[in-house]
Amino acid sequence: MKHLPKHLRPRWRYLAVGIEAWPDAAIGRRAFQRALWYSAGNLLGDAGSADAGLKLLSFSFSSGAGEAVVRVRRGHVPEARAAIGCVSEVDGDPVGIRVRGVSGTVRACEERYMGRAAASSTQRDVAFEDAERSAVVRGDARDVRTESGYVGAAAFDIE
Amino acid sequence: MYEAVHAYPDGDATVARQAMTAARYGYDGIVVRTRAALEPGDGGGTRTAPATDPDAIADEYGVDVVDAVEIDADGPAAASGAVGNRRSDRAVVCVVGGDDRLNRYAVEESRVDVLVRPNAGSGGFNHVLARAARDNGVHVEFDLGPVLRETGGNRVRALADLRKLREIVTDYDAPHVVSANAASHLELRAPRELVAVAEEAGFEPEWVREGLRAWGKIAERNRDRLSGDFIEPGVRRGRYETER
Repeated sequence: MKHLPKHLRPRWRYLAVGIEAWPDAAIGRRAFQRALWYSAGNLLGDAGSADAGLKLLSFSFSSGAGEAVVRVRRGHVPEARAAIGCVSEVDGDPVGIRVRGVSGTVRACEERYMGRAAASSTQRDVAFEDAERSAVVRGDARDVRTESGYVGAAAFDIE
Repeated sequence: MYEAVHAYPDGDATVARQAMTAARYGYDGIVVRTRAALEPGDGGGTRTAPATDPDAIADEYGVDVVDAVEIDADGPAAASGAVGNRRSDRAVVCVVGGDDRLNRYAVEESRVDVLVRPNAGSGGFNHVLARAARDNGVHVEFDLGPVLRETGGNRVRALADLRKLREIVTDYDAPHVVSANAASHLELRAPRELVAVAEEAGFEPEWVREGLRAWGKIAERNRDRLSGDFIEPGVRRGRYETER
């Protein structure tokens, strides 16, 4: 189809979204997109969700940390931010999520807000509560494996 | 802005991890509701894992770490005893509401700083409690946790309760605080996200920000009161003025 004249094209804003989860979480692109739309549908309703858009443009996630670019219709950024804030789990894996920033172009969004996390993770044994436990080390974060699941700790706790 | 969080062993992240995440999200400080997570004034003599010294954690991450306690008692008598015990060593004293007698006790006790989760269980909130909260300076918590993490009917009920609570509390100008009640670093949300979610739920953005700042104000006032120089409001121990 012939594309629209410039004044009729939708205007977009691009949201850089940071994602965090436990190291054993496996979050895929499709699952994350579904979670976004599900959250928007529940919070904003079908009409509000359609207005906001919330299409996932790029997504990367590995070993407990990831980032994404989400496309939102201009003028609906506050609603989109609320919907993103309400994503509390993806496929049953709890996630921490935050909007790092908003840009007018995908390129500005990527240059300014993306690619800073994604420090590679390693496995290490650490002393936690008078016991040796295995932990996943990612940057300053230490996710310690205990009997009842992971506990989020920091380098400051352990070293 | 401050956020009040749960920490290991009550939650799934240590105080240091919560502080690290809160600093990245742009908070000025965290209020740690879990009593066992912090040992103020142990001076960092022996290093433990997880770290429990609030001042050391605050220095490391550049956010304020406030020692608080949440009193979750079965009834007013037990809660009253716990408040008396904890008031002198914790900067922020919260009472978990959720039943009518506890809600009533908390708002009528001026030694309590915050009534948290007033709508959690069968508890109700009405104009009588709002007036008492205002007169005694007890802050009422607006818990956004269920809005962020629940779905379906539970979430609808939580939103309805928040709306009712908001109408009562704003009408009587009772002090309020806002929190996401995060039990781990994954449940923490940045202030702008909280404001956006609350705005969708019908709150005024500035009113929500005020509720997030209120935690810091409570902590500041109580730290001053717990310091040795405080005698009573307006009276402090110190050097008298030598020059007029």
